[in-house]
Amino acid sequence: MSFFWHRLRFFATDAWDELRHSPGVNLLAVGTLVAVLFGTGLVALILSNVGVFVGSLREDVRVEVYLAQDVSEERREVLHGTLSAIEGVTQVDHIDQAAALERYSVWAGEMAGLVDELEVNPLPESFEVFLAPGPGAEGVGARIQDEYGGAEGVEQVRFDRELLGRIEALLDLARFGGGGLGLLVLAAVIFVMASVLRLAVYARRDEIDIMLLVGATPAFVRGPFLVAGVVQGLFSSVAALALIEVARRTTREYASAESLGLLDLFLQNPLPDRYVLGLFLIGLAVSCTAAWFAVRQRV
Amino acid sequence: MIRLFNVSKKYNDATAVSGASLEVAKGEFVFLTGPSGAGKTTLLRMMLRQELPSSGQLIVNGRNVAALPASKVPDLRRSIGVVFQDFKLIQRKTALDNVAYVLNVAGVPRSEQRKKAYEALRGVGLNHKLSAYPNTLSGGEQQRVAIARAVVNEPTLLLADEPTGNLDPDLAVEIMRLFREINARGTTVLVATHDRDLIERMQRRTIILEHGSVIAGGDTA
Repeated sequence: MSFFWHRLRFFATDAWDELRHSPGVNLLAVGTLVAVLFGTGLVALILSNVGVFVGSLREDVRVEVYLAQDVSEERREVLHGTLSAIEGVTQVDHIDQAAALERYSVWAGEMAGLVDELEVNPLPESFEVFLAPGPGAEGVGARIQDEYGGAEGVEQVRFDRELLGRIEALLDLARFGGGGLGLLVLAAVIFVMASVLRLAVYARRDEIDIMLLVGATPAFVRGPFLVAGVVQGLFSSVAALALIEVARRTTREYASAESLGLLDLFLQNPLPDRYVLGLFLIGLAVSCTAAWFAVRQRV
Repeated sequence: MIRLFNVSKKYNDATAVSGASLEVAKGEFVFLTGPSGAGKTTLLRMMLRQELPSSGQLIVNGRNVAALPASKVPDLRRSIGVVFQDFKLIQRKTALDNVAYVLNVAGVPRSEQRKKAYEALRGVGLNHKLSAYPNTLSGGEQQRVAIARAVVNEPTLLLADEPTGNLDPDLAVEIMRLFREINARGTTVLVATHDRDLIERMQRRTIILEHGSVIAGGDTA
């Protein structure tokens, strides 16, 4: 064990020496990796926040049952009773015409005044039927849509799962497509970094030859370069993650109140732990692989 | 210690060494001489397994060098001390670190490395230059650091390729004195040089190469 630590200590010292003696090349390698990890991290941040938003919409599963203008009080009571009795329905709220108008005014903002010019309130009364979230919710919603779609006193039933489905499909596409694109980008970065690090190895070619001549094994010669790769990977990952969080906080801090709502769709939460770990490991892996390819060509 | 049987080395159409046979016994001090291009350096490079012979057999320290697997080459090199005309010191390491590197490679504990490296540098009269970097040392001092590095691991064989080629005559004599001391401690020394004066002054067995062939002195006395 002490032999292992002795070797590791030497590799670390020699790697530090190497980083100190070739700052330009090593900074270029680190800068490249930080830029790529920062870009990848930003995309991951946006995807994770949009994912959280869609997830919250998923939790809020409801069916809107719009009533006909001439529905009787008695029929309304019957509909409320039968809807409440359905298994999987957690709550049924009655939204009368005045409440519907109030909601519209909040939603429409400056455009709300248009409705005031009408003599009668055109918005229908409705029931908001809340469903227990979970895999069964889709079936319950579809059943209500089928059974009450043409029922007496009901004008229309809306159970808009398609939009959510589409958003989720887009997110999946972004995740998988982004993942595939990410792999290509990472391969390109490994190539670029390996080329940059190859300059550092080339600059030390005489030294490497001397090391081999005095009996160093190829693994012993490669060691410091790989340790330098680990250090670059660690530094780049930490720097990129810190930059992402600083950028997120700064953008939110300086955003106007009006735009913050939209920005929060993308930036409200920091990167989840699993993304942080993933990005950290990717940085480490890319840097080590690049260092391996760079030194492998010479030793 | 060293045995060559009909060793040849060809590079495409050019022949660097042609059917060379020679023998160096344990504890000997031998010069390898000949004009430039005679094949001295190629022979030494083959002994270090920097080059493979095109044909023939080459035994160094009991190892058949050409047949040695790549994984065993570092072991062979650790058993040989080597000194070059251009010193081949690692520029970013101090004199002490250059010497200690060989011990590090061999897995010697760090505290022992420093002690042994210091002793080796003291042996060549450079104990006052431990922290000096090669580019701050004179040619003679750099060569002495290289000699300290070559002997710090107590190798059984020391190979030197034109070790005085970049030094003035007084320094060359000084370097030869060091080699004689190393040889007196039991290390076999093979020095490749074309410096006739030096060879005559040292009065040791001399192997003469010409056009890649051994023309005299190849056998032990």
